Amino acid sequence: MGDVLLEIKNLESYYGPIMAIRGVSLKVEKGQIVTVLGANGAGKSTLLKTISGIMDPEKGQVLFNGAEIQGQEPHKIVQHGIVHVPEGREVFPLLTVDENLSLGAYTRKDKLGVQRDREMVFDYFPILAERRRQEAGTLSGGQQQMLAIGRGLMLRPALMLLDEPSLGLSPLLVQEIFSILRRLNTDEQVTMMLVEQNARIALDLADIGYVMEIGRIVMDGNADRLMQSEDIKAFYLGHQEVGQRGERRWKRKKTWR
Amino acid sequence: MQTVEHPQIRLNGVSYNATPGLRPVRVDGCDTIVKLFAARCSELGARVAHREKDMGIWKTYSWVEYWAYAKWLGLGLRALGLQRGEVVSILSEDRKEWLYADMGIQGVGGIASGVYTTDSAAQLAYLLTDSGSRFLIVEDDEQLDKYLEVQDQVPAVEKVVILERDGLHDLDHDGCMFLDELYEIGRQYEAANPNGFEDEILKSKPGDTALLIYTSGTTGRPKGAMLGHENILGTMESSARALATEPQDEQLCFLPLCHVLERNVSVYLPLAARSIVNFAESPETVFDNMREVSPSTFFAVPRVWEKIYSKVLVLAQEATPLGRWAFARALSAGAARAGYLMQNNPVPGAVAARYALWDIIVLRNLRRMLGMDRMRRGGTGAAPISPELLKWYWSIGVCLLEGYGMTENAGLTAANTLASNRPGTVGLPVPGVTVQIAESGEIQTHGVNNFQGYWRNSDKTAETFTDDGWLCTGDVGHLDQDGYLTITGRIKDIIITAGGKNITPAEIESRLKFSHYISDAVVIGDQRKYLSCLIMVDQENVEKFAQDHKIPFSDFASLCAAEQVVALIGEEVEAVNSEFARVEQIKQFRLINVLLTAEDDELTATMKLKRNLVEQKHKALIDEMY
Repeated sequence: MGDVLLEIKNLESYYGPIMAIRGVSLKVEKGQIVTVLGANGAGKSTLLKTISGIMDPEKGQVLFNGAEIQGQEPHKIVQHGIVHVPEGREVFPLLTVDENLSLGAYTRKDKLGVQRDREMVFDYFPILAERRRQEAGTLSGGQQQMLAIGRGLMLRPALMLLDEPSLGLSPLLVQEIFSILRRLNTDEQVTMMLVEQNARIALDLADIGYVMEIGRIVMDGNADRLMQSEDIKAFYLGHQEVGQRGERRWKRKKTWR
Repeated sequence: MQTVEHPQIRLNGVSYNATPGLRPVRVDGCDTIVKLFAARCSELGARVAHREKDMGIWKTYSWVEYWAYAKWLGLGLRALGLQRGEVVSILSEDRKEWLYADMGIQGVGGIASGVYTTDSAAQLAYLLTDSGSRFLIVEDDEQLDKYLEVQDQVPAVEKVVILERDGLHDLDHDGCMFLDELYEIGRQYEAANPNGFEDEILKSKPGDTALLIYTSGTTGRPKGAMLGHENILGTMESSARALATEPQDEQLCFLPLCHVLERNVSVYLPLAARSIVNFAESPETVFDNMREVSPSTFFAVPRVWEKIYSKVLVLAQEATPLGRWAFARALSAGAARAGYLMQNNPVPGAVAARYALWDIIVLRNLRRMLGMDRMRRGGTGAAPISPELLKWYWSIGVCLLEGYGMTENAGLTAANTLASNRPGTVGLPVPGVTVQIAESGEIQTHGVNNFQGYWRNSDKTAETFTDDGWLCTGDVGHLDQDGYLTITGRIKDIIITAGGKNITPAEIESRLKFSHYISDAVVIGDQRKYLSCLIMVDQENVEKFAQDHKIPFSDFASLCAAEQVVALIGEEVEAVNSEFARVEQIKQFRLINVLLTAEDDELTATMKLKRNLVEQKHKALIDEMY
């Protein structure tokens, strides 16, 4: 078993009176890719936001390298080496690709290292090198996603939080981005926590998976095992459960047994 | 046949035989359910009978509609060939059409039999075959699919009537039709036979079988208990005395109507009492619906009462320090008063005054929040309830009374009442029902509500009655010197350990269940060296405990595996052990680490563990303990 990099214990987060996370505990080991699956509103993004400090938890702990970091300001959390690649890219549209990448390295002082990492990002995403002087807002969706990931890499993060990198991308682009994520994990040893709705590709990439439903974890385990679960197949992998009349409109009530 | 007329008395505006328990039983002069139904519909007309939520708005449905739709449904089935004495099965969640079907079927002399919506397709096939149903009423596409899955096994079913069209616009099946089509057939039949429904109703006799209720069967396959009109009227007669309901009382219907408890409370007793029945939208929205309806009387199983209690505790813990202090003071004032009330003693002035103050500041608001501000009486039954929980409800100003009954005697044997309440017992036998304790300790009952027997199963019927006609309940218990009945367990569940000691597991199990962390337990030990136990934890409360004590867990299995959780349950088991003799103590226990819901075979529809299925399915856990 590897070293535990991130450990979440009994986390509870609220949006006003609404409890979005109802006691979640999970672990991410160094070098692993952990994915959190779930439908809209399950609390996946809230979980990432709570880790990166955008939201403060009501209860529970977030331990990073054994130290409590919950409730800290986002800029402090970034200094620990946690990078959040938000849902929907959120690149700075009026800045160029280069400038966006520089902002990713804003907290770093080692110019040489930054230069090297910029080259590394361009290595992984050659299209960004081509467009380095272009305003980010004029990039295609896939390119923006690459830029958002590249911007995150510029920090040389110990842990990368990825919120739905496949959102709104063509299947081909999704495959490309995920294969790059895999290379980043094996070649650069980037530990990742990946929130996804595209369960097939996420479980394919990840070592460990957690399934969230209405703020709770309902299932967890090795990605291979989850891939075999009937419930995952039915709800996330789109296996049609053949009903009596060809298709079925209602959701099976008995789940996650 | 000559009919005897007994002197009448009026209770809450309804006339009954002055002496309960005599044949023929009459309610407002009617001797069958459907005659009473006809009388009520013509008497109450445009008054509200039911309320149901439609797209978020409560809509009202009158007795006129109740009559018309029940009539067309009944006549429609008649036109399709339903004969008197035949069973029609109903597979639907609670809704007004369930009642239309019940009354329509009974009106034309059929027998209504409910199927739980949580039952599987295989269970449905068994029930359809056993009852010999030629007609089946299903709620929607989900329930229809169960039938379609097993249609080859149930060739006797001729027509399936579907209540909801959603998702079925392209359905092409000769054996299926929609409810409005059935109504139309009924209308046409009525046009050809004016008064056809009324004539059929007049043919009903007190001894006719009116409904079939399949017993949940904690043991063996379900058996259909046949209840006749007079059995149900007998329960109405007893209820009028023990559980008085007033005209225009509001009720909430949410437990399955296939169960005798909800069927009585929401279908038959309102016929007698003229009360208004509100249908909860779904099992998940019961607590919201409760607040909206604020029922006058409310019957629920202990699990529901426990849930409400847990909710309040969680809310109180998250309140401000001032709020918590006020709540604690209010509860102690309430408890002081409850101590007198529950013993039927007069409340001293000072105690009453203190309660009145805290009632205004805290408790009244709490009851309003729970939807219990208009509640005259709460009822609990179908499983044991902890005396502490009863007292807590009395403390917050809710009069919660425990009762006892079974399908085989139309649902009511004994009940505590506001006038005679002895917490810990299930009360005095209700008027019209006699209770005796056999030499074996078994509770036996006698009364006009005793059922007619099991459907096509005369062997089981014979086993259920003694030679002199008493109904063997299968429960063990005793009567105290004042006649209050206490239940201690099920006779079939008695465990004989390898040491030869007889043990009633239910006694230990219900003590365990009184813990907020344990929702149910099965004690094991037949032919074994010592007793052990499988425990189903209460998800919400144990999760709360884990959260409060920072115990990490991901899914339910990991929650059950957490050391501190096992230790917590261990303490609860130890606490129960201390109340029992050495041989009756639990030496080992395991937690059932899958979250069981009503769809699982191991649970009955009222969420009780089925002993034999639990023992089969969790054999590995049991073997671990020996």
